[in-house]
Amino acid sequence: MKEWIIETKGLSKRYKGRYAVSNLNLKIEKGDIYGFLGPNGAGKTTTIRMLLGLIKPSNGSVHIFGQPLNKDKLSILRRIGSLVEYPSYYGHLSATDNLEAIRRILGAPVARIAEVLDIVGLSKEARRPVKGFSLGMKQRLGIASALLGNPELLLLDEPTNGLDPSGILEIRELIKQMPKQHGITVLISSHLLSEVELTAGTVGIIRQGELVFQDTIAHLHQQAQGSMSLVVSEPEQALAILRSHGAQAAQSGSALLLENTGDHTIARIVKSLVEHNHAIYRVEEKRKSLEELFLQIVGEGKLS
Amino acid sequence: MATFFRLVAAERLKLSKSYIWVLALLSPLLSLAIGILLSPDSIGVSSVQEKYMLLASSMASFHAMLFLPILTGILSAFVCRYEHVGGGWKQLLTLPVSRNHLYFAKFSIVAAVLALSQLLFLAAVYAAAAYHGFASDLPWSTLLTGVGSGWLACLPLAALQLLVSVSWSSFAAPLVINVMLTIPNMLIVNSEHIGPFYPWAQPMLAMLSFSVQDSGAFALPLENILITVLGSFALFLAAGLLYFNRKEI
Repeated sequence: MKEWIIETKGLSKRYKGRYAVSNLNLKIEKGDIYGFLGPNGAGKTTTIRMLLGLIKPSNGSVHIFGQPLNKDKLSILRRIGSLVEYPSYYGHLSATDNLEAIRRILGAPVARIAEVLDIVGLSKEARRPVKGFSLGMKQRLGIASALLGNPELLLLDEPTNGLDPSGILEIRELIKQMPKQHGITVLISSHLLSEVELTAGTVGIIRQGELVFQDTIAHLHQQAQGSMSLVVSEPEQALAILRSHGAQAAQSGSALLLENTGDHTIARIVKSLVEHNHAIYRVEEKRKSLEELFLQIVGEGKLS
Repeated sequence: MATFFRLVAAERLKLSKSYIWVLALLSPLLSLAIGILLSPDSIGVSSVQEKYMLLASSMASFHAMLFLPILTGILSAFVCRYEHVGGGWKQLLTLPVSRNHLYFAKFSIVAAVLALSQLLFLAAVYAAAAYHGFASDLPWSTLLTGVGSGWLACLPLAALQLLVSVSWSSFAAPLVINVMLTIPNMLIVNSEHIGPFYPWAQPMLAMLSFSVQDSGAFALPLENILITVLGSFALFLAAGLLYFNRKEI
């Protein structure tokens, strides 16, 4: 039996008769990085706000660390670090004082402030008022605030918004280390698959408030498996040979396309073609990219 | 309770770095100027008691009629402003704190700065009395009760202004409402019918009831003031807590 850090059952939020989130069953495993994907306005932030108790669900339940959120909210929140939508800050305070204001509430040790500033690379800017910070720096400060209380679960809503490419890379590396080094479970939302593709172990895809895909990223890769393309000297005769092996093949120019063919069949086909003295110029696998698959899921709400 | 005091400590940090608390100095300083510029002898007041009455009522009318209610509104709006501007509500409420504690922490900070302003006013009365040479004869218990009940009479206003400021992300709107409700004080304090029930007039009525020791023109019995103050305080605070607990962040 797996240990679910977050489990929602039938979670829904209705605004004026319209469901912003409907019947969501999230399952997030301990120590996993969960990529929560969906286009803008799909209900990602609404879901995260419900997970944090900022808004009350219209229907359904949320269990975090196995405890019901509506009963044990404060003890659950003590173990969560979060960044919702855009970073929160007090412009008239320095980065250190921003963190101090949160530290006083959490009762964390003073030394932790310097630690988290160092983690997000803001140590040099610590004394400046935050109103002069760029969006990327505010974002880093937001991540530092989320880490301040040594959380067991991080909920990060579009954490790389406004960061430059090297910043995105840094944050990605940082997030990758969380489960390994500290055993932290991470939920990270994004509207780009490429953002979480390299970090997440599991992805959930939400579309118009409904969860349309939830599985491991490896499984998503399998779904993205594409077709084989053979470029040969005499395509017409070769096509006949392919069909005699029972392969689903089609000709396009000098190339032959085979859908979802296993390794053994490919080997047999190639061997047979060589035996019939066909010259084989290319054997290529044409993969659908994950991004294409993601767009397809988001567009149609299902896998083909 | 521990989380409540932690919240207050965090609020103190946020407010102290903003220098808005400097406003608490303003009215006591102006009151001091009024107190010093008065010349009781030229009006023909000679007894120490009459001198005190003149001094305290002149200083308190300015301080309590306009400044104290307006300062209450500014402070309440300000402790919410930095949350509205930077998305702070969201962050605060994802920390392990109850909404009631947070609301009371904000309220306590406002009340504390108001108390500071009252203490400075007290110092201003003392300084003005010293200038006129009767500081040793001040009726301390009367003066302290006046300053203290003036502070109490501000708390319902703070509770109401906090409610308005939490619900409106605009900084100016709550202030405008507060000033609009404060200006009529000049007329209302003279009204026997409305005065005792108008929350914005209570700080002045409370402070004057002790500067004018015999029941003068607009001095009211303390009981009346307490009923209005406590009643409106309970009502406004309950409404604020109810609203804040249901608010979607």
